Amino acid sequence: MHMEGYKDRNTLSVMRNEIKESNSSLITHHSELILGIDTSCDDTSAALVADGNKILSNIISSQSDIHKKYGGIVPELASRRHIEMVWPVVDEALNRAGVSFADIDAIAVCHGPGLIGSLLVGCGFAKAIAYAKKIPLVAVNHLEGHIFSVFLEHSDIEFPFLSLIASGGHTSLYIVNGLGQYIELGRTRDDAAGEAYDKVAKLLGLGYPGGPIIDELAQEGNPKAYEFPRAYVPESFDFSFSGLKTAVKLEVQKSELQTLDSKLIKDIAASFQLAVVDVLVRKVEWAIVKKGIRRVTLSGGVSANSELRKRFAEMAKEREIELFLPSISLCTDNAAMIAAAGCHHFKAGDIAGIDLNPKAYLPL
Amino acid sequence: MRIVTGSEEETKKAGFRLGTVLKRLSRGCTVFLYGEMGAGKTTFIKGFASAFGILEKDIGSASFVIVAEYETSPPFYHIDLYRINKAEDVDALGIWDYIDSDGIAVIEWAERLSEIPENAIKVRINYIDENSREIITEGVDEEDRHYMQGRKVGTC
Repeated sequence: MHMEGYKDRNTLSVMRNEIKESNSSLITHHSELILGIDTSCDDTSAALVADGNKILSNIISSQSDIHKKYGGIVPELASRRHIEMVWPVVDEALNRAGVSFADIDAIAVCHGPGLIGSLLVGCGFAKAIAYAKKIPLVAVNHLEGHIFSVFLEHSDIEFPFLSLIASGGHTSLYIVNGLGQYIELGRTRDDAAGEAYDKVAKLLGLGYPGGPIIDELAQEGNPKAYEFPRAYVPESFDFSFSGLKTAVKLEVQKSELQTLDSKLIKDIAASFQLAVVDVLVRKVEWAIVKKGIRRVTLSGGVSANSELRKRFAEMAKEREIELFLPSISLCTDNAAMIAAAGCHHFKAGDIAGIDLNPKAYLPL
Repeated sequence: MRIVTGSEEETKKAGFRLGTVLKRLSRGCTVFLYGEMGAGKTTFIKGFASAFGILEKDIGSASFVIVAEYETSPPFYHIDLYRINKAEDVDALGIWDYIDSDGIAVIEWAERLSEIPENAIKVRINYIDENSREIITEGVDEEDRHYMQGRKVGTC
């Protein structure tokens, strides 16, 4: 029995920067108020968003402490934790926003892609509330949520724009021509960028999640120490990080892990990070040129990476394009982005039935 | 049965041939797949899944989701136990339900399972060099082996 789930029930993190004092007055004259719920992976999140872009509350209960000791997310633990947390998180979101179920126009829930056991909790909860309280239900693809996260901070962004989603589960590049109008330019053919971080961190005997740890170690390493391969996948906007992971593995094997001193680890971390960032920046740059689109948004956990943000900012300056970097708190999974996308579906009359079923694999 | 492939394409082809053979069986079955990180398990599965009409681009790493279900006929399940550390987690995830289902499942990192059924189909992929892989298959009928060896890919 894993009891660690019970002790920090009251330590919900709140994104204070997004909750503006003035928002409380919005409740009375908003046009749509959406409750968003996301349980696609290891964070339980609920948010209240008005008019598709005003965050009234965005509550995230992170499970990373629970999963850390296992070196990755344990799906069964994640599901159980979601079951424990979904009510308190939704309650907190309602309280912070100062609203009740009666004020809500629709419940937007993420139904995939993600861990099936985790998705089932959020979907089951949303369906039950929607049915009991007679509130319309809206299904949101997690990737669409990431695309919509830009509207939460830049509601006036013009179309079309390029949207790069890079996280532990996804690495995809889209052209966004309008609300609900996406063209997938490319996606990873094997590992996601964040997954490569996690796997390399494991190879180097570092902890989980790999992204922040490698990012920190890389600051003190020499990024030119190792020439790791960059898979540019010619004539395609697809990504591939599997070969890079294998190259790091072969390098680690050359020197037994026990003899890897901290300088070596830092150099490998820095060289690996440079290889990942090089590819992500180059692919987006190529899309800017090829497609003639001069607005770029980033989202997903990897977009919190310091080197990635720095390099994208430099590239944007050099090419004189508009770059929309999300706040760190909106990079990772959150329900505000689900509510934002859900608002669009609600307005379009795209309502889900009570027979909604989540799907682990759900292309946008 | 042992096959040596000389390129990524040949590894996919080997996967495609096994997928084709197993799709013909009118019952569910599971392939237990072994191989180190970087051995080419995902590449092999891209080929395997193409026998079910699944596009290569729709097969990626399943480490994140652990089980990726495809609504093909029969259904195809891409399972990746890389992140599983304990046998109980396999049970809790319902992996055995997929193994006993009417669909076709391929399980990466099958060494994470505490036991596997008798006469199971096992595939081990070994890294030889950058392009070459050794693919060892167990549990496939003789006539199917003949088909899987093809003309160009391999020696027995």
